[in-house]
Amino acid sequence: MSDQATGGGSGIIGMGRGSYLWLLVFFLAPAVLIYSIFSIYPLFATIFNSLYLRQPDGSYLFNGLGNFHTLLTDTTWSAPFWNAFRNNCYFFLIHMAVQNPIGLALAAMLSLPRLRLRAAYRTLIFMPTMLSVVIIGFSWQLILSPLWGISKMFLQTVGLGFLFAPWLGQENTALITISLISVWQFVGIPMILIYTALLAIPEELIDAATVDGLNQFQAFLWVKLPLILPTIGLVSILTFVNNFNAFDLIYAMKGALAGPNFSADIMGTLFYRTFFGNQLQLGDLSMGSTIATMMFVIILIGVMAYLFLIQRRMQRYSF
Amino acid sequence: MRKPASTFVVHVILILYTILALFPIILVIMNSFKARKAIFGSPLALPTPSTFSLIGYDKVFGDNSIVSYYINSITVTGSTIFFTLLLGAMAAWALTEYKFRWNTLLTLFLAIGIMVPIRLGSVAIIQLIVQMNLINTLTALILVYTAQNLPLSIFILSEFIAQIPKDLREAARCDGLSEYNIFFFIVLPLIRPAMATVAVFTMIPVWNDLWFPLLLAPTGGKQTITLGIQQFLGQYITDWNAVLAALSTAIIPVLILYIIFSRQLIRGLTSGAVK
Amino acid sequence: MSEVKIDKLCKSYGPVEVLKDIDLTVEDGSFVVLVGPSGCGKSTLLRSIAGLEPVSSGSMTIGGKTVNDLPPAQREIAMVFQSYALYPHMDVYSNMAFGLKFARTPKAEIDARVNEAARILQLEPLLKRRPRELSGGQRQRVAIGRAIVRKPQVFLFDEPLSNLDAALRINTRVEIAKLHKMLKATIVYVTHDQVEAMTLADKIVVMNKGRIEQSGEPLDLYYKPANIFVAGFIGSPAMNFLGATVKKNGAVTLVDGQELKLKTPTAAKAGQNITIGFRPEHTTLHGNKDLKFKGTVDIIERLGEMGFAHLRLSSGQTIIAEVRGDPGMDIGAATNIGLAEEHLHLFDGNGNRF
Repeated sequence: MSDQATGGGSGIIGMGRGSYLWLLVFFLAPAVLIYSIFSIYPLFATIFNSLYLRQPDGSYLFNGLGNFHTLLTDTTWSAPFWNAFRNNCYFFLIHMAVQNPIGLALAAMLSLPRLRLRAAYRTLIFMPTMLSVVIIGFSWQLILSPLWGISKMFLQTVGLGFLFAPWLGQENTALITISLISVWQFVGIPMILIYTALLAIPEELIDAATVDGLNQFQAFLWVKLPLILPTIGLVSILTFVNNFNAFDLIYAMKGALAGPNFSADIMGTLFYRTFFGNQLQLGDLSMGSTIATMMFVIILIGVMAYLFLIQRRMQRYSF
Repeated sequence: MRKPASTFVVHVILILYTILALFPIILVIMNSFKARKAIFGSPLALPTPSTFSLIGYDKVFGDNSIVSYYINSITVTGSTIFFTLLLGAMAAWALTEYKFRWNTLLTLFLAIGIMVPIRLGSVAIIQLIVQMNLINTLTALILVYTAQNLPLSIFILSEFIAQIPKDLREAARCDGLSEYNIFFFIVLPLIRPAMATVAVFTMIPVWNDLWFPLLLAPTGGKQTITLGIQQFLGQYITDWNAVLAALSTAIIPVLILYIIFSRQLIRGLTSGAVK
Repeated sequence: MSEVKIDKLCKSYGPVEVLKDIDLTVEDGSFVVLVGPSGCGKSTLLRSIAGLEPVSSGSMTIGGKTVNDLPPAQREIAMVFQSYALYPHMDVYSNMAFGLKFARTPKAEIDARVNEAARILQLEPLLKRRPRELSGGQRQRVAIGRAIVRKPQVFLFDEPLSNLDAALRINTRVEIAKLHKMLKATIVYVTHDQVEAMTLADKIVVMNKGRIEQSGEPLDLYYKPANIFVAGFIGSPAMNFLGATVKKNGAVTLVDGQELKLKTPTAAKAGQNITIGFRPEHTTLHGNKDLKFKGTVDIIERLGEMGFAHLRLSSGQTIIAEVRGDPGMDIGAATNIGLAEEHLHLFDGNGNRF
């Protein structure tokens, strides 16, 4: 039996098959066990749970894909679900449209040769990413609060005082505001990833472009940018996974109800609320699992799409 | 060849953005040291001797639980880092060095964890923790965070271990060291830089996480500092001094750690992403 | 007219002077090679001509036009980089056409030029391929093609052969020489390999520590090196150097006491300490020549139809002699080496030729 596990013999000369097996177990077992029990098993258990419906008497009845059907079509469930899904999409789009281009622009500037204070800029701009969302969320709540009036003051100094409103408290602006705060916090990550990719481009290539007659901006657009497309793809997929998994910031700023009137509700908060219950409803294990499984499916679809559609085409750009 | 004008513009943009990035933080810390009137009266001013006040901090630290929250966070983060590094290095070593049938499969199995968010299994995790009678303990957090960070840790450490010259390991074998000795006395010391990187990379998300402390250890004095601050903020929401002080208390240690370790952190972030 | 004239060019990085007082003329249509050890400044000089590096003082003209403040694109130069610097995300055709597109050259013209270059360099079957799919030699040809389509006044080559394996290097060297003749181009070429320099150049410029040691035709540098550095750099194996003192009667005494009687008078003064030099390939075994060196055979390197004998003089110094055929010497045998006086070089205390 130990032969089978090791593929027919010890990999080390002089060590018997039995001891080789123990060697492997010693090194691998702890990590694999913890990972399987607390990471993989729960995932499958959740998917499993989503196939069962909790009965009034507390037992669980197999329901096949019934829960999903309920989630997607039964108004009591589907309205909040589609609301959360739609909000999550907006959340993601805002990140893609604001966070990633800003990160790209900052990275492009930081990667300019002979830029002084480069490391200082990088360290300082990355700082918000380090802080917990609790801090970020609350700090911004204070800054945007009409009571303190700081943001109003700033807008007034640039003549845009009329724009000010309690954005966080208004239904139509709450989500965008929170999204922008999230962008503000996490811009550092695409910035650093793209910056590193830009550094990997050989300087000689830019010299060749300069000799070919391109100025700095053109060289960036036509030479550097195509070569970092794989990294931009990576950043996009990371943004996608993170956004559809997000919870912390919205919970910190708006609580589990993600108000006002669920306008800031995304998949993560919906999941939390469903599973744990709140003042409006009891916790529901089955539907909670169902929502979690849906999130998993959505993320999986996104990752698969990325791997098959985009990753394949990215091969073109490797050195 | 480069026009000084364009360099100037670049610096202006970078400085403006840096101010944008730092401003909220500075504002909060600055105002946490001011009396309530000054916070509202002159929010942008630095604390002066007349406006200086520690009243917020009194409230934050008055209730001794803040200190215990810090200790909880340190325990959880520290232990997670320890186990992630140790178990991760061991697994990375075995997967890189030893040939056996399930090697590739196991590697793929562990790689899944990098992409799949562990939070989605929270329902089952809670059930598991409850069954194991570990609800409201730090142990639960440590186990979950370790599981969450192992895949990436194994991946990064594997890359590093693969770079150790084969000759070194073979010389050690010729010298008569057992495989276990080789790991603990030769390999581990050599991958210290990578381990430092993984440590820093793991530290921040674990310290800052809100989700799992909320789910697994929300009461009974086992809160982490992140959760504790969140609860405190919820409680004292109208007391601006206390709130600002609490935020600053949470910010400053992280800031200090960050400034010390920023280089490793950025290196870790980039090596983890290149896959 | 695409002559390059460089006048008193200096370049410093802060306190460090990397180019000192460079005066150089590259005649129209000539092939000039900048050669020297690592760090001598040859690449820096090339990049300064290209406009990729700023200079601290001095002037440069290309084709009569002063180019000091012009960006590379306006200097009418084209550069072939050491690692070829091909754009990985474009095919060969686009790589060559890239610069022309930005210069707003009409499409028909671009097409004509690219195809012409492809024909000259035998790249026609490769036009649709990406750099990744090409061999080192092919990539290099594309890099040269990219330079040709620009129809520049001057071609600048930065160590183009150093990334090729030995056999390919020799072939490509010949190809580059042929290209020069066909295009009648003005070329400035950088290499650390003195064999490349000797075979390709109309004029060699030997550089060391930011200065030009000597510039001239290859054979001039070979037969009349201006100083010890050039003498030791050109020629392989390197020239033998021995310390000596001048005697009153026009003879020269080596450190180990051997005396060499010189027929031609020299500018060296009696009592002066000098260095003598001679090339291994000018020595003969069992010399029946003007000058004789006595030594014992230490090592013999046999290469087939010739070999190198390393002789130890009684002073402990070693000289290398080239011998034809199988020398039939034994290790440890006492031997005489002969040298015709015309092949003896004398250098003064500063290393300069008399």
